[in-house]
Parts: sequence; C-alpha cells; structure tokens
Amino acid sequence: MSATEHHDDAHHGISHVAAARVLLATGSTLLFLTFATVMATKIDFGANINLAIAMLIAVTKATLVILFFMHLRYDKLFHTVVFVSALLGASLFVGFTLMDTSQYQQTNIWQPSRPPAAPFGPRPTTG
Amino acid sequence: MSDAHDAHDDDHGHVDHGSPFIQHHYDDAQHQFDSGKLGIWLFLAQEVLFFSALFVAYILYRVHHPEIYSYAHKWLDVKMGAINTAVLIFSSLTAAWAVRAAQLNQRKLLIACLGATIACACTFLVVKYMEYSHKVHEHILFGRYFDPCVSPGGSELLTKHNDCKGTKTTVEWSLAQDGNIDLLNGKATGGCMEISKFDQEPHEPGVQVECKVFELKRTRNAKGEWAEASRREITNRCPEEGLAEIESGKKETPKFPCWRPAIQPAVCVPVTVANKPPSMQFGVMVEYGDEVERGEDMAIEAKCDAAKPEVQPADIFATPHETEKLGEKAIHPIHQLTVHEEHELESLGPPPEHTNMFLTIYFAMTGLHGIHVLFGVFVFIWLLIRAVKGQFNDRYFGPIDFAALYWHIVDLIWIFLFPLLYLIH
Repeated sequence: MSATEHHDDAHHGISHVAAARVLLATGSTLLFLTFATVMATKIDFGANINLAIAMLIAVTKATLVILFFMHLRYDKLFHTVVFVSALLGASLFVGFTLMDTSQYQQTNIWQPSRPPAAPFGPRPTTG
Repeated sequence: MSDAHDAHDDDHGHVDHGSPFIQHHYDDAQHQFDSGKLGIWLFLAQEVLFFSALFVAYILYRVHHPEIYSYAHKWLDVKMGAINTAVLIFSSLTAAWAVRAAQLNQRKLLIACLGATIACACTFLVVKYMEYSHKVHEHILFGRYFDPCVSPGGSELLTKHNDCKGTKTTVEWSLAQDGNIDLLNGKATGGCMEISKFDQEPHEPGVQVECKVFELKRTRNAKGEWAEASRREITNRCPEEGLAEIESGKKETPKFPCWRPAIQPAVCVPVTVANKPPSMQFGVMVEYGDEVERGEDMAIEAKCDAAKPEVQPADIFATPHETEKLGEKAIHPIHQLTVHEEHELESLGPPPEHTNMFLTIYFAMTGLHGIHVLFGVFVFIWLLIRAVKGQFNDRYFGPIDFAALYWHIVDLIWIFLFPLLYLIH
C-alpha cells in the first residue's frame, strides 16, 4: 500500500494529503467489516467467542479509522503518543475497576415483603 | 511581542501567510495548523477518557449481570443500528475527503463533502430519534421509568405500573404477607401473584417450556384426606375481561404464552373463595415438565363463612417444595431446549431483575454519543458556511481537519457502541 500512496499524497504544504484510493479503500473496508460483524452474530460460536469476534472487528475498524481517516499513520509521532496514552489511561481505568470483580458475594436485595430469615442464636445484647 | 514575531518571521522568510485567517501571534500557517492539531488531539484524548467512564460502567455491569444484557439487547433493532453504523462510516469518509478537498483547493468538492457529512449526521439523528421514540412509547426506559409494555420477543408484559397504551388494563398486584396471598381479606381481588411465589430456579436449564397453571379445588374424601375435586387451567389469565366473566367460566385466551414458572410474569387468581364449605380448599398448581410443583406459598383455604373470621390458611400442600410425578396423561412431553430456543423463550418472558440498568447504560452511552453527533452537525454547518464564503485554502484548512478528527472520534465510539449494545449474542 505504501508504494502507491506517494503518487498524490506527499506532504502537500502544511500537512499530509490523504490519497483518494486510501480513503476509498478504508471506507469500503469499514463498511464491509460492519456487514461482517452483523453476520458474525448470526452464527453461534458461543457467547465468549462471539464477543471476541465482535470486539476484534471493532478494534480493526477503529484502527483503520485512526490510521487512515485520522491520518495518524502520516502524522507526528507525538499525536500518536497523546492518543495511545489516552487509551492506556482508559484501560487502566477499566482494569482497576475490574480488579476485584470476583471478590464479592451475591447481593441480596432487601424486599420488605419477604425479609430474610433471622439468624439463629440468641438476640445480641444491646450496648 | 508582535515585533519579536515579525522579526522571527522575517528570519524565516514567511511574510505571506497565505490566508487572512492566520493569526498574527503564530509564526506562519504551519505554526498555527500544528498548534491547532495538537490541541484537537489533546481534546480527543480527553474524549476517549470521558467515554471510557461509561464503558467502565458497561463492562462492570456486563461482568456482574450478563443475563440482563442477553435479555435486553433484543429490544434494540440491529437493522437500525447497522444503518446508523454505515451512515456514520460514510460520513467519516466524506469528512476525511473534505479535508483532502480543502488541502487541494477543490472548493466545490469541499462544499459537497461537508454537505454530505451534515446529511449523514442528520440521518443518524433521525434514525436515533425513531429508536428513542419507540422506546419511550413502550416504556423501555432507564432507571425507575423502566416499565416495558412488551418483552424483547414481542409478548405483552404485565407490569406493576402498567399504563401502556392499548387494550391492556391495569393489573393489580397483591404482595403477599409472609408468602401468603391474603385472599381471605379480599386484598387480592382479581389480583395477580408475583413470579417469585414460585420457588423455582430461574435459569434452570432444560426445564419444560410449556407450563400450565391450574386452579385446584380439593375436598375431603370419606377418609378425611384431601382429594382433588376439580382443576381449571388459569394459565396466564388476567382479569382483563373482568372478574365476573372469569367467574362465569367464559373462556379466556391467554394473552401471551406461559413459559416456565420462573419467568412467568404473573398468575391471576380470581377470588371465588367466598361462601365455600370448609371441606373445600383452593390452591394454585404449576405444572411443567414431568413434575408438578405445588405452590405451597399460594395455598389458601376457602373462607367458610363470615361468622368464622379466624380461619387459618390451610396447609393444602403439606410439604414445602413438594414435587411429585404426575400420571402419564397429565404430563407434557419434555423437550430439551436448544440454546437458541432458550433465548427465544426468555425474550418472551418478563425482564430479569435490574434490566433497567441495561437501558440506563444504553441511554447514557447513546445519548452522550448523540449529543456529540448533534454538536458535530452545528460545527459542520459552520464550516459549510465558511467554505461557501471561500475562506479555506491549502494554507488554511485547520478547522476542517480538526472537525473531521472530532467526527472520526464520534464514529470510532459508535464503532464500539454498535456491537456492544446491539450485537450481544
């Protein structure tokens, strides 16, 4: 791909000009992947694999958008650093929140009409 | 200050900025563009973090309550979501092309691309509006406003505050005291019993689909044992026709199928207990699979007469959770459900607990995204006006580039929202 790009998309003055072919190819790939991800849900691979497929396709689409529509491939490295650090921050956010996922017991919702059974044993003395 | 910059400019020979929109405090067009670009990238990074809070909420809830996602996502129309995804991707293409057109001084193409982007954004909002209005109409809403009229599978739901438009009437719910429906005091007149009265594991696999609910009458036989006197199917019968008609034995057509007891919304029991001899008992029996679960919680005794108000609820169904094999003729054939059928069935039943959280997350995420799209429309209209005035050229196209970058991020977020909300398997 990189061989063909340099026909009409050299650094044109201020900034890189995206090649028409690259834009069209990116757009049609994205549309195709949208179609693919809808079709993939119709096949049952098991919930986890289906989720993995959908996320893989979404990440691929996102990468295409970032690299070609958002010009990050041709842009300054520092912009990539900024964006990737935001992604890192977001993943830290998710990671830390999920860290204690398995540390909780089932929540019992208090229903006034059906209070849980009283514990056995003597009533605790007050004070 | 400006003197210093002018001197600096002169050093580099950039006297002509190429556009009247190059601000004097920048060295040249390149300097202004680079500054703006860094600014928009910092803003985009902030946007990612901003949306990540909602993604955290989504992920956390999905980890803890996967069942509400697999149930509630069917309320969302995949077709609508897919159309919107395609529309946004196309608009991203036109936005990227607008940047290219501006860079190459193609003014007409720039105007066309900006116009196409605006049109796509508006299409997206119109589709979103159609989806939202459907949900508002059906009460498929967030938080405490979640009170759906229809299940994802399309069956009518009886809800606690049911004021859905249409033919349905208000259903009176009688919460039992200590697990017993207080029919004796007339509180449950024509009321419905909650599903939770059926003590059944909600997601027990392979339980027979077709459940039937019977109203039982029992009398004492000669030995003094309780024996079944009559059995009447009351599967999912609710007093839409009015209690009198139910009592007169008019045949009711179930409004929606009765599935497993655990996911059956309500069983309605007409009160026919008054003035019955004390030798008669009433109860509700739920039959599914090859077993009968007798709703011991719902055991009620006939009110024998007004002179004896101290009637105790009879223990018709002596053993709690009593199950017993039925005779062949009373048995419905067992059909082991496939995963697909399980899902289909669940989507016909009432929502599992906390399902409102899915809709809360859905509206929060798509709503925030929709606001971004709306903002994008205004930005692109502003750019369109400026493009028509011919204010952009190959030396000055920063606003187009930055708006396009913003638009791509909006597209990017939708790329994740679409599979996460609409395409749950």
